[in-house]
Amino acid sequence: MKFSFFHLMPYPYLPDDFDEKYASSALTYPNANFSPELGSALYARYLDELEYADKLGFDGVAVNEHHQSAYGLMPSPNLMAAALTRRTSRARIMVLGNAIGIRGNPLRVAEEIAMLDLMSGGRVDSGFVRGIGWEYFAHSVNPVKSRSRFNEAHDLIIKAWTSPEMFSWYGENYEYRYVNLWPRPVQQPHPPIYIPGAGSSETMKFCAERKHTYMSVYAPTRIVRRWFDGYREAAAELGYEPDPERIAFSVPIYVADTDEKAHAEARPALEWLYRKGLKQTPEMVTPPGYMSPGSLRGVLSSGMRPFGGASYEDLLAQGQAVVGSPASVADRLGSLYAELGGFGQLIGLFAIGPSTHEQVMRSAELFATEVMPVLRPLGVMTANPQASA
Amino acid sequence: MADVVPAEEFVELAEGRVHVLRGGAGEPVLFLHAAGGAGVWHPFHQLLAEAGFTVLAPDHPGFGKSDDFPAAEAVDDLVYHYLDVLDALGLSRPHVVGGSFGGWIAAELAVHSPHRVGSLTLLSAAGLRIPEHPVTDLFLLSPDKLVATLFHEPPPPPPPLPPGAQPDLDAILAGYREATSLARFCWAPFLSNPKLERRLGRITAPTLVVAPSDDRLIPVEHARRYAERIPGARYAEVADCGHAMYFERPAEFASTVTAFLNAHPLATAESGVSR
Repeated sequence: MKFSFFHLMPYPYLPDDFDEKYASSALTYPNANFSPELGSALYARYLDELEYADKLGFDGVAVNEHHQSAYGLMPSPNLMAAALTRRTSRARIMVLGNAIGIRGNPLRVAEEIAMLDLMSGGRVDSGFVRGIGWEYFAHSVNPVKSRSRFNEAHDLIIKAWTSPEMFSWYGENYEYRYVNLWPRPVQQPHPPIYIPGAGSSETMKFCAERKHTYMSVYAPTRIVRRWFDGYREAAAELGYEPDPERIAFSVPIYVADTDEKAHAEARPALEWLYRKGLKQTPEMVTPPGYMSPGSLRGVLSSGMRPFGGASYEDLLAQGQAVVGSPASVADRLGSLYAELGGFGQLIGLFAIGPSTHEQVMRSAELFATEVMPVLRPLGVMTANPQASA
Repeated sequence: MADVVPAEEFVELAEGRVHVLRGGAGEPVLFLHAAGGAGVWHPFHQLLAEAGFTVLAPDHPGFGKSDDFPAAEAVDDLVYHYLDVLDALGLSRPHVVGGSFGGWIAAELAVHSPHRVGSLTLLSAAGLRIPEHPVTDLFLLSPDKLVATLFHEPPPPPPPLPPGAQPDLDAILAGYREATSLARFCWAPFLSNPKLERRLGRITAPTLVVAPSDDRLIPVEHARRYAERIPGARYAEVADCGHAMYFERPAEFASTVTAFLNAHPLATAESGVSR
């Protein structure tokens, strides 16, 4: 099992009347509510936490991209990754990921990831995401084109990284007469690719065909199980069994010295994450064309509900958060491992909403020293059918 | 004419089928629907047909019972699409009436091919970019807010589903398909073609621009701008009415439009009523 410390870099200082007054913490939530002074201190604190995770022995430190939102303060994850290249030494630097569905110029992403790979000595993992619904409003990109833009940008970036000679690109969304990447990445043939899935069968197949790592987003265990099974089935149809390391389970984790302390501290943090940070209207979640008809039917009939409706106890019971003493967390993650049919990477969100710096540091430390060793043997390929990957 | 019964037909084009509702007898009126209302023979259609016109109401690509025509991805593609539809229907120069999104298509058609439009009626048409009077982002409105935005006097909300009842997935998916089709053509630039305004001088057909008095979606300044820029255009307002227009006040809209159409008969040799 490999472990990474994932950061959303939330802006936790929402006003007391947030619930009544605002439909979301994103898109239309007024930026007058952002304090540059507090934001500057948050960036320093959050980078410290990621750097500490590297020292604690996490296999990866992870950042992601969100726009116009208090939920996550990283419009450019590559900037944060660049900072991490100079202050970490062991961990993979995981950009999970660049929202190539909404980028105007995907070649810029290829260039920046190549730079990061050089700056980090080949430690970069490159996630690609479509960008979530509200970001198609925020950056005025047609959601009907989302999948087409994502697929084309993905193909263009990989070709730009790997082509030993200059080429031209004429696609549905992008045209380049000269693609001739300087610099090229260190890792060959290119940095590993991570793709998050949220139930779309297109994404499962896309990842399985390319042996990209398929990572879950926050959802109840029975639904994530369906996604992981979908990925495994897509691989089976292609004639191989995926390395467990290509399946990454992503979940908020909070560890404290005792169960009582952990729950007392995690409850408000998780309620913030799911009820405020992720508060969105249905129109923001699913702008027109963002989902294929088949995927939308699947989501509607799966019984997935808006996050805000779930209680703290529901979130724990459904595997949308793991909280407790080190022993309890190790035990719970072991059972989730079994319920999900296995996975080889655990991407933990340790800095949850308004958790304090001290809480996050302690949680990460307890996890690294007492939970990781217990789970480390899980999720490792025994045979080696994917040697060609 | 009070016994008009609409007929349903499909026009076969190279890239798919277009669903058309046809009713009435008389000069042809091509009716281009708004974002809502595809595939339905509405009281407004019935009133136009009863007033002595042949109403031809096609569903746009990706709406109602028309095919998706996935290659069409911008309003210029819709202009070529409707030139094909006119040819397939044997209409050389019909009256063209368009509401909202359909009004935008009608204006673009009349700019592109002025000789194919016998008269032009724009009912609170989208299509213009007026930054100081922006169009409301209907894609971000919840269903109840959308209704409140569209109507001067919003109808009561539908009763909530009884506990345990499942929502109608097919209806949800059909609505999502039409929203997706609308977004395909108008997400950005939002419901407009920034070049359209300066091209409106090309329009030669007699033109009527109608605005509802209380339009909360497309501000009335858009209709006024159309009327200013289209040579010789007339302007009319329907009182106590929202952007839902002919859904909210079908009789008033029908009488305003039929009075205009009657005042501008098509030259019979040109109308091209072929069947």
